[in-house]
Formats: sequence, structure tokens, C-alpha cells
Amino acid sequence: MKTFKNLLMLLIVVSTVSCGDDFLEPVPTAVLVGETFPNNAEELESVLVSVYDALQGVNSLELTDASLNHSQQIEFYVTEMLSDNTRSKSGEGEAGQFDNFTVQPTNGFVFDYYRSMYDIITKANLVLDNIDLAGDNAATIEGEARFLRGLAYFNLVRSYGDVPLIDAPIIITDSEAQFTRVATSDIYDFIVTDFQNAISSLDVTSTPNRASKAAAQGMLAKVYLTQGTNYGEAQGLLEDIINSEQYALEADFRDVFFNEANGENIFTVGYVASNSLESQNFSAEMLNGVGRTSGVNYVTDEAIAALDEFGGDRAQYSKRVDAQQPTQTQVVKWIPNGDADLGIAETSSDPTSAGNDWIIFRYADVLLMHVEAILAGGAQTTSSNALASFQEIRDRAGLADDPDNPDDDANTVTVITRDDLLVERRVELAFENHRIHDLRRFGVAQDVLTEFSNANGHSFSATDLLLPIPQFEINLSNGLLSQNPGY
Amino acid sequence: MKYFLKTSKIALLLLGMVAAISCENELDLPEAGSQEDTTPPEANFIATVDINNFAIYNFANLSTSATTYSWDYGDGNTSSEVDGQNEYAAEGTYTVTLTASDALGVVSTFSDVVEVVEPEEPEAIIPVIIEPSFEDNTLPDGTGDGRDSWRNSDLGGVIQINTSSTVPEGGQAAKLPSDASRIGYQELTVTPNTDYRITYSYRIEDPGGSATVSVLPGGGYVDRATAEASAIVEFTGSDEDYTLVTLDFNSGADSTVSIFFYNASVEARIDNFTAGLQ
Repeated sequence: MKTFKNLLMLLIVVSTVSCGDDFLEPVPTAVLVGETFPNNAEELESVLVSVYDALQGVNSLELTDASLNHSQQIEFYVTEMLSDNTRSKSGEGEAGQFDNFTVQPTNGFVFDYYRSMYDIITKANLVLDNIDLAGDNAATIEGEARFLRGLAYFNLVRSYGDVPLIDAPIIITDSEAQFTRVATSDIYDFIVTDFQNAISSLDVTSTPNRASKAAAQGMLAKVYLTQGTNYGEAQGLLEDIINSEQYALEADFRDVFFNEANGENIFTVGYVASNSLESQNFSAEMLNGVGRTSGVNYVTDEAIAALDEFGGDRAQYSKRVDAQQPTQTQVVKWIPNGDADLGIAETSSDPTSAGNDWIIFRYADVLLMHVEAILAGGAQTTSSNALASFQEIRDRAGLADDPDNPDDDANTVTVITRDDLLVERRVELAFENHRIHDLRRFGVAQDVLTEFSNANGHSFSATDLLLPIPQFEINLSNGLLSQNPGY
Repeated sequence: MKYFLKTSKIALLLLGMVAAISCENELDLPEAGSQEDTTPPEANFIATVDINNFAIYNFANLSTSATTYSWDYGDGNTSSEVDGQNEYAAEGTYTVTLTASDALGVVSTFSDVVEVVEPEEPEAIIPVIIEPSFEDNTLPDGTGDGRDSWRNSDLGGVIQINTSSTVPEGGQAAKLPSDASRIGYQELTVTPNTDYRITYSYRIEDPGGSATVSVLPGGGYVDRATAEASAIVEFTGSDEDYTLVTLDFNSGADSTVSIFFYNASVEARIDNFTAGLQ
């Protein structure tokens, strides 16, 4: 009996401790908990910075509380690893669920990404609700908050389908707003309004880590292309970016990733090496045996073949053989500890506290979307403006004709099919979390991933194209939130 | 007593387990204690046409609470795979039906219609220039003085017509007097993102001036400075003999382009516009 009493005591103590962290447990996803409401312009700016922090996510190797949001740092699990570009080395655990299309509603990355996006939205809503405090900077602050909110909703709607639409600060009892799934088309209307506002409010920025007019124009163009409407408007937005002459392709593909803040990158998520609050761990996770989690986002045989055949100069700066395990292939674009053979310097003395920025949007994507807008859903194009944009990408990749040989026109593009464009996007933007969205947008995801799945013994079905709504959210919703088909 | 109670509880538990197991053989008795199927299957799918072959459709199965599926593609082909794919032998309208069943034998069906039709290669519009060589009675209704289609009073005065000298085409040409106050302007309907070629002939009457022809994106121009700054392509020439000029351009995102011409310092003549694909 004494033993039993002691056990009971211990149990009480344990449960008391676990309650101490947060007033609300479990913590709801889209509701403000313990936020300080801003009282003046300075505090409003700091809330805006917290929206960027929410996109940045925390380094899970530095701050190990599992309830923290890892946001951009874990996006590759729910995008690139779900596609035919990458996989985990072992195929096991929650990471392996993305490799073989067995994602469960309880998957931690699915929940982490979902609540990370709502964290961005919740904090952006707080900024927008208090925008009258802003003073002279009101337009810019509103534009930045709307850009980030639009980006978060764009990520949500592409990955989860219909999702709750939270457009203002709400409280915990407002379960209808938190848990009512709103139709994809209505979410897109909301995103379009946010990006349009951002375009009119924002200008060029000194750093790609802050939202700019071009970033908003590019994201709005991508929304239009995703909807398959407004191809002409998408083209106009992209030509505005091109004609602004603020951005250009880097001459050397490697410099896009290892010469940060170059003229090609339009919107990036900034990280600072060896800084527990501002560093990232995804670079280490993509290595072999570095840190607690690693050996993920390894390159599939299919992506290796595509890069070798179509990549040109890009192949060597996109993937490399894992020196410790030569049967495996790693992603190069984000390596933190340098590679002497490739002429890449170390970005961080500790790979688990890396400083490589994540590129969300760069000029190469502008040029390839320009081609896509001109194709306008058609099978192919020979229009000179599309050919010019496409040729620019190919030339930079070292696929230009020999300038000393006037008879060499083997690499001159004369026609672009939808397949050509999809392949070019795959090798240009490999491992930058575009592939799964591209497959969805081009309407080929089911076809391509069925073939990929069959060839590798995975279990793809069309419902895997949307992630499950996190089980945690469904449990909290008391039956309001429905699950996606297939889960 | 206490001991007995504990034992009897375990016994009861055991009894319950046995009962549960023995129940499995009696599924088809909808009597007291049986439950209705609270999660009946709901069949649903979306169809997507293959990007390379209009005759192939992919069917994404979005059914819920079902375990077995039966596809009827409407052309006699069937499948029991989860997701469907079918290649149709001929163009036509087909009703595709998915029957989804759960393990209790509850059935739901969903049908949708697919149109199998070979997409037409869209023909590019050949732009029509009205009164292209400034001749009388060349409006579509057979009237006109050769310049009615070229007016835009916001950008400048209407062109004059030269009838007295030999011109490249017909008997008349556009005449822009040396005060440079007159312009020609006409909006053309084009297919977006298409490579077009416009040709014309021009000359200037005396040295020291020029004639400019430009193609502007879109239409609706009301400001001369804006129009002069907007050209997709333009040519400014100062030949004193009639010279043929070719303007190649891409229509871009617009379904309208505008021809805009004007002169500087000396009288200029322009004649014989043509428009076509490159």
C-alpha cells in the first residue's frame, strides 16, 4: 500500500509538471496563446518579425522541445520526399512514410507543417488586426504580413486541400472557424487578395529574406498557373519581374546556393550559422550520420537519371555520391560542411547548426513559369518569347551551342512541349521542394507517381496526393473536421 | 468475499471475450444488439486527361469507407484496381461509373462523364489591317476615303491622303505634313504569344526628318508620350525613296496590338501595310 501511495504521488507530480509548460494543453493550432498584443508601432514591427520567425522554424537539434514548430526546415519531408525526387536512406519511421506512400494522419511531420503554417497565419492576423498602430510604414508592414499569410495558405491548400480559413485573431472557443474546412477555390480567392495587396504595397528590398513586390508577383503568378486560369495575367506579372531588371540568373549555377543574397534569389528564408535561435538543421539531416536525425532527402534513382541526362552543369551541384556509402546519393544544394571537389566552402563549423538559407523563389522559376504561362495549358509552343526564356535557363546550365561553331545548333530550342518544361523544372529546381507541386499542377501526378511507385514497390494511390489532416486536429475538433479520402 | 468478487469479475471478463469471439459467426442476423453501418462507403473520383494522349484518362479514386472497387469506363472496359486508367478507342462521350463497397457489403456508386475529343491545334489569327494602302472605298462595307480606320484624335490629327504621285500600292498613300501634328493609329486583333510580321513602305520628302512606324502592346491609347514610349518594335527611317520595312514582333500576353505611325520635321508618306505570321 505504501508503495502504491508513493506511486500515486509520483504520478501526480509528473502530471503537474507536464501541465506547467502551457496554460492550454493540448495547444490549439490556429489560436493565439500567450501572445503579447502590440501596443505601438515598435511592438507591431516585432510581431511582424515573429511572422518571419514562424516561417523560419526552429532548429530541432538546438531546441529539442517536440512541440516547437519547424516550418520551412521540415517542408522537404512533406513535399520533396513525397515526390519521385527523394527518399529516406532507411525507408523507415515517419520519414519513410513519405517514401512509400503510407503517410498516416498521426505522422509528426504532417502535423508539424500544418501547425507551422497556421502559426504564420495566426501571427500575420495579429499584425493585420493592429495595422492602425503602424504609422508611416503601414503599407509595407501590411504587404509583408499579407505576403507571408498568402504563402502559408498556398502551402496549406496545395498540400492538404480544403482547410480552415482564419482571417483574423480568434479565441479558443471559436471552434467553428478553427475546424470548418473551406473549399479550395475560396482559399485561393483569399490568397489572390493577399498577394494582390502585397504587390501594391511592397517594393524592392535590400535582402531576399524580406518580402518584396517581385516575390508577391511571382507567387500570384504561380497561384494563377495552379488554378489553370488567368494565364495572361500570370504572364504579365512575370514579365513585370523580368522587365524590372532587378534580378538575373547567376552565371554559375553553384553560386545560386553558395553565394547567398545573389541577384537570382527573390525570396529566401534566412538562417544564421552557429546560432541556436536562427540556425537550421535540414542541411545536417540530408547528410549521413550527422546529428540525431540524418540520412533523409536522399536522391532517388529516377532523379539521378533525369539530372544526368538533362541537367548539364546542374547535375554536379545538385547531387553527389555519399562518400561514406557509395551506393547512396545525397543532395548538394544545401550542404553545410563544404565540398572541396566541388569548390564549395563550409558555411558552418557545426553542420547541425547550419546557416544555408532556404530558397523559396528565384529568377529561374520566373523564366520557367513564363514559359508555362505562354503554353497556357496547351501541348506545345514555338512562340519566340517562350523560347527565349527557356533558352536562357538551358544556356546557363552549359547546354548552349558552341559559340565558335556557327553550324552547331543542337542546343537551340525551337519547340517546347509540356513534358520538356516539366523535365526542365525538375532538373533546374531539384530538391527545392517544387517537384510534388509541379506534378500536381501539370495534372500528371497520378500517372508519374503510379509508375514510380510500381517500379519501387511502393503503395501509391491517388489519394496520397493530398496529405492527411493531422489526427491531432481532428481529435480536438469534436467531429467538426473531416479527414481527406484514403486515410 | 473480496476474493470471490475478484474471481467472478475475471470470469465475467472471460465470458465476455468468449461471447465476442462466438459472435463472429452470426453476422447476418440484424436483430437486437446489432449496429447499423455508421460509416457506409461513399464513392467519388475525379478524371484527368493524360497530357500527351487525349484518349487516355486517369481516374483518381476519392471514395471513403470502402475496401473494394469496380470501375466501368463506359466503353466496355472495366477494372477492380483502386485508381483507374483507361485508353478510349474512339472519340465520344463516356459515362464512367465507380462502385465502391465496404466489407459489410454496403455499396455506393458515383458516375461522371468524360469527353474524349482530340484537341484542335488552335489556328493563329492573321490580323486584318483595314484600309491597308489608304485607298478609297476599302472599308468592309465598300465605302471610305482611305483613312477612316487610322484615326485617334487623342494622339494627333488624322492623316492626309496623297493622291498625286506614284505610290507602291494602288493610287493613294498616307501623308504626314511637316508640322508633325498628324498620326495614324489602328488596333489589330491577334493571338497572344504569336510571332507576327508587319511590312510597309515609306519615304520622306526632304532631308532632315524621319518617319516612324511602331507596334504597341494592347490598345486604348490616349496619350501620345505613352504611346511613343510603349513600342514592342519600331522603325524610324529617313530614306527619300520608297523603302520596304519589315517589323517582326511577338504579340506577348495581349490579344490586341496597335499600329502607330508619325513623322518628324519633314513631310512623310506611308503606304501598303501587310500583316501575317513570321
